[in-house]
Amino acid sequence: MSNLLEVRDLHVQFRIDEKYYSAVKGIDFAIEEGKTLGLVGESGCGKSVTSLAVMRLLQPPTKILGTATFRGKDLLKATEKEMQDIRGNDISMIFQEPMTSLNPVHRIGRQIGESLVLHKGMSEKQARSEAIGLLQQVGIPRATQIVDEYPHQLSGGMRQRVMIAIAIACNPQMLIADEPTTALDVTIQAQILDLMRKLAKERNMATLLITHDLGVVAEMCDRVAVMYAGHIVEQGPVRKIFKNPQHPYTIGLMNSLPKIVGTKERLHPIHGNVPSLRNMPQGCRFRPRCPHAMDACAANPDFFKIEDDHESRCWLHADLKEAK
Amino acid sequence: MAEVLLEVKDLRKYFPIRRGVMQRTVGHVKAVDGITFDLMQGETLGVVGESGCGKSTMGRSILRLLEPTSGSVVFEGQNVVGLSRSKMQTMRREMQIVFQDPYASLNPRFSIRQTLMEPMIVHHLYTPKQRMERVGSLLDRVGLDPDYGARYPHEFSGGQRQRIGIARALALNPKLIILDEPVAALDVSVQSQVLNLLEDLQEEFNLTYIFVAHDLSVVRHISDRVLVMYLGKMAEQAETEELFSQPLHPYTRALMSAVPVPDPDIKRERVILQGDLPSPANPPSGCTFHTRCPMAMDICKQQIPEWKEAKPQHLVACHLYNE
Repeated sequence: MSNLLEVRDLHVQFRIDEKYYSAVKGIDFAIEEGKTLGLVGESGCGKSVTSLAVMRLLQPPTKILGTATFRGKDLLKATEKEMQDIRGNDISMIFQEPMTSLNPVHRIGRQIGESLVLHKGMSEKQARSEAIGLLQQVGIPRATQIVDEYPHQLSGGMRQRVMIAIAIACNPQMLIADEPTTALDVTIQAQILDLMRKLAKERNMATLLITHDLGVVAEMCDRVAVMYAGHIVEQGPVRKIFKNPQHPYTIGLMNSLPKIVGTKERLHPIHGNVPSLRNMPQGCRFRPRCPHAMDACAANPDFFKIEDDHESRCWLHADLKEAK
Repeated sequence: MAEVLLEVKDLRKYFPIRRGVMQRTVGHVKAVDGITFDLMQGETLGVVGESGCGKSTMGRSILRLLEPTSGSVVFEGQNVVGLSRSKMQTMRREMQIVFQDPYASLNPRFSIRQTLMEPMIVHHLYTPKQRMERVGSLLDRVGLDPDYGARYPHEFSGGQRQRIGIARALALNPKLIILDEPVAALDVSVQSQVLNLLEDLQEEFNLTYIFVAHDLSVVRHISDRVLVMYLGKMAEQAETEELFSQPLHPYTRALMSAVPVPDPDIKRERVILQGDLPSPANPPSGCTFHTRCPMAMDICKQQIPEWKEAKPQHLVACHLYNE
């Protein structure tokens, strides 16, 4: 399988009071065709910023460095015109809050049809009938009526279905889903995740799934990258990350989750708080909260290979290797 | 044996729907529609349900932050519904609430010290010097530096603000605390810190909790007993372990199977409910769940199921268990 999107050494720097601070500091990841990569982490870790940077949706004075190669083309060097051809056509995006990402004054049909008219050169009429078909595919009942309704007439789950219909209209090769079910109730979340899985499979569409919910990751993803304070700290296939987590942050996250099955025990939280952009610790950024912090952590660790395809960014693994 | 601290009987809260120039009442949103439960001293009752099921309205009606439409709330033998304003104020010393949004529930113009002293001033408790000391010890107790008293809410992170909200609820030494989605706005790593703190405080001060949340794993973790609500009504109630291992109501089963488990090897049988939550202004006839229920029968459309004990200590409202 070839890589559809390959991100290398991506940095995103925001300007605050004339100084630049890195929200994303040199991350690498790749997504294969038709596969799902989960980008998981807590608020402020840079997971959403990463996707916005790849789609070139961040405005100056924000600085973006590195490369993001999509089918042989570096998105970070593409012109705005080229990006317009890619957005909504080859790569599309859905967001957390379906109400704020739909236009309240346009009918549903027109919002779905917009990208079809723009990218596929359809007439308004063709686009409308295509929109009805798409609404049916995302499981909306009464599609022929809903196509002429407005977003406020729909429930949260239905709106997210409409967002998905818009996103898949041009048959993109990749979907970026930024917390797509966070605003929804669990029973509706189950419906939407089910739909996303089905569509990705039918269309061989790759997905970059951004979420804070490890349960959603376990259920949806082939690979996972765990982010903390602008770094990817661990990445690998989903089974390896969940069965054999290596980085103290990943382990801490999993231990701090209350369980819905198995025995009840006291939670083991990660102490302290996520550092703010302006006060990033030197060296390993997890050091102040890490139960294993040591002198070596004053320098930023590189990735160490745990197994094939599973790497973790922590000095603990260096020690293990030397001991061997 | 523990004593009953709170008895809620047939609690209802209806909001009128007004239309037209004359603002005539054309109907009611039955946000809370007949809730009954007992709560023992030192116990934690978890209340779960999806958005709009009335779980928060129920919490607020118990404290009379919203005036209940009917029903009774008996706290230590006294019915608080119908109490005069001044008597109610005294009662509120014993019953406190922590809200979901730690950003919106703290006054941005009050220093933390002012926020924590406010309840003591309102209730004329302690001398000014004692109040100062108490603020320090409260902050210390919830895991914050006592020197933080001089700071303002914007200087704190979400988790720290929630700790302040908890300290404020503790300020008057209450017996009952209603926790309305206290960890929903927090990150996972901080969420577990706050859950542990709540458990420690409960043990130390023998507190009784009503824990309102939508996250089933969190509710399972903290509750002794769980009440499942759907569209303002009770669907099921049982001891936590019993409910999670033997859910009876089809809604509870669907809710539990919908939660994604952070383990890629667990493949569970999933009940995916069709459709959306109906509007509480116009609930379906009979059992309100019949429109989405995978096991709906004819009777469900016509008759409201009774609230019955299907097994000892395990109550459910479903025709499947009405012999």
